Amino acid sequence: MGRTMIKQRSLFKWLAVSALVEWLLVRTLTRAAIHIPKSPEIAAGYAVVNQIGLVAAAFVALLSLVLLVWIAWEGRREVWLSLTLVGLGGVSVLFLVIVPPAWLALLYQLLGVTAVLFICAGAVRAYGGKPIWPEMAALLFPAAALLAGLLYQLLPTLYALMGWSGPPPLTGVLFNLGELLVIGSVLVWWWTSRSLPNRSRSWIIWLLAAIPALLFALSFWRDPAMTGILTIWSTGLTLFLPWPVYALALWLVGVTVLANWHSHPALAYAILLLISAGYAPQLSSQLFCALIALWLLERPLPLTAHDRQPVDQPVKNNLITDYR
Amino acid sequence: MMTRSRFLLITLLALAGVLTFFKIPLASSQGVTIAAAQVDGALPLDDVESALWQEATAVSIPLSAQIVARPLFPQANVKAVDARALYNDDQIAFLVEWEDDTLDETAVRVQDFSDAVAIQFPLVEGQPFFCMGQQDGNVNIWHWKADWQAGMNGRQDVDDVYPDMYVDGYTFADTEAGAAAPVSSYEDVNYVPAMAADNLYASPAYASPVEDLIAGAFGSLTSQSAEMQNVQGHGEYADGKWRVVFSRDLASLEAEDAQFATGQVYSLAFAAWDGANEERNGQKSTSQWVSLSLGAAATDSAVTESASADSTAPRPAAPASGGSASSANSLEGVAFALVPMFMLVGVMALAAVGMWLFTKLPDKKK
Repeated sequence: MGRTMIKQRSLFKWLAVSALVEWLLVRTLTRAAIHIPKSPEIAAGYAVVNQIGLVAAAFVALLSLVLLVWIAWEGRREVWLSLTLVGLGGVSVLFLVIVPPAWLALLYQLLGVTAVLFICAGAVRAYGGKPIWPEMAALLFPAAALLAGLLYQLLPTLYALMGWSGPPPLTGVLFNLGELLVIGSVLVWWWTSRSLPNRSRSWIIWLLAAIPALLFALSFWRDPAMTGILTIWSTGLTLFLPWPVYALALWLVGVTVLANWHSHPALAYAILLLISAGYAPQLSSQLFCALIALWLLERPLPLTAHDRQPVDQPVKNNLITDYR
Repeated sequence: MMTRSRFLLITLLALAGVLTFFKIPLASSQGVTIAAAQVDGALPLDDVESALWQEATAVSIPLSAQIVARPLFPQANVKAVDARALYNDDQIAFLVEWEDDTLDETAVRVQDFSDAVAIQFPLVEGQPFFCMGQQDGNVNIWHWKADWQAGMNGRQDVDDVYPDMYVDGYTFADTEAGAAAPVSSYEDVNYVPAMAADNLYASPAYASPVEDLIAGAFGSLTSQSAEMQNVQGHGEYADGKWRVVFSRDLASLEAEDAQFATGQVYSLAFAAWDGANEERNGQKSTSQWVSLSLGAAATDSAVTESASADSTAPRPAAPASGGSASSANSLEGVAFALVPMFMLVGVMALAAVGMWLFTKLPDKKK
């Protein structure tokens, strides 16, 4: 599975874009104004924006579930990963109509952890057991960050199910380590993608990507209060590291996405999906987005159809549906 | 020409619109959960050492400094609390533990501040802003104070800190009782207006070390009236660690109280203050929302719709998910359990029709 092409590109693109819209509108923009006094007109405007974001959230939940099942079907030769993904989707749907017992909640979280591990194992196999480590790091860093977040949520459930008094040891350290890996992921993506062919090297990209980073820095300088709380609320990051580290990461992630949007879309989509999912994703749809992102990153870079086509095989016409 | 991908996207978008309109959740929550353990018999309401507490799993909840409302306080001392919960047929109790190098249980002088801890529950569907709620998103706060705990055995007053002070007040009160003199001992309540108004801070004796409060944003914190104070508490300090028990009946008749029922999942958040670090009021450590499950539930299957800037964001008393798990104050009734189910069935029927149409479409662009 690891060396297959990216089919259904338009679906991944729409998932990434809609997840970004939901994240920016529901979890960032409307929350940023939560304590700003508003006239009825402005409040109505925010209500409309929020409603758009909620539709985007529902769309992301539906599309991520569809794509999860699609990925399971596409990779059905790797039966364990497929079963894990289908199990995750099935349990998450079940959770909508029943109150889950502890064992089922634990099963769901274990399925999440297992899916991450299977995806990483699939990547190693895709490289024929000889992974190119800089490229593998682009997958392993975010995978490790996701694992840290999942384990942070899983351990209390496990302790409760086993009847252990708890609290689980070192959960705070685990949480901070995961946040460190999130920042590390950004640096690895940027570093790895520098050598990708056909990526845009325009300086305008650096300027454009600097805008959100400067806004973050300006916001932090002007009002660290709201900046800190918004960051926690919208991304799950606690800003326990010095704030310039986060500003730099925001800049580099912007550069990486913009530079690879056309040439290596899977990388760009994966990054957007991971950002939208946030650290230690709370909702099943966010976890699905993160898993889909890892699945996209699992493919050895570069990630376009032409770059990825094995030289000894003819190009299949249906490798990318709706390409461009 | 309509391709399969495009048809799928349009169908899903339409479906998303419909589901949003009917407020049918599509994602389940899986954050950190405190699983309350059910016990037979009485809860250890004033015994922090009870073996019964070991039946409940403690969850370590990270706290961070409150840096939203001014004065900002970036360096709070309490980094995490460990919390666990027990319940029986009538009551629920929480044990909250945290490390604190200093015992601060007096707040008589203006330069003294007391250790404290608080639990917060949303009074609306979903999760309002986790720092004190928001407009149309009230929260119920249980605030345990170390100085109130110390005052349970005798109200602290200035003469406790300055024993040689000369008092020429209490003209109309019981001179022996001092600050503990009830309002009835005063000939004219105008001399003690706060006490006469049942201000808890002026109360001659504390009925509980826990204050039961309501908030709906910064600056809106309001104590419930004296007769509505129904949360009990007990705290002990030993070996550099506070252990505090909160307890209350599962059900409350008061509309501004959080309600609890078996088989449900609720949201709650924590805050803590270190008096030695001059932490008080908004200068504190806070957590984000975590889940509390009573009974078999171990995770919140509800989509806890995020609070947003529009003033109508969190809605009161609406179901979060198919009549199953919900945040506090979910609607009750068969109708509410069935309606979303019928909607889901309808959606599935629509999906089946869509799939049939899907197979009739060309696979890709010509």
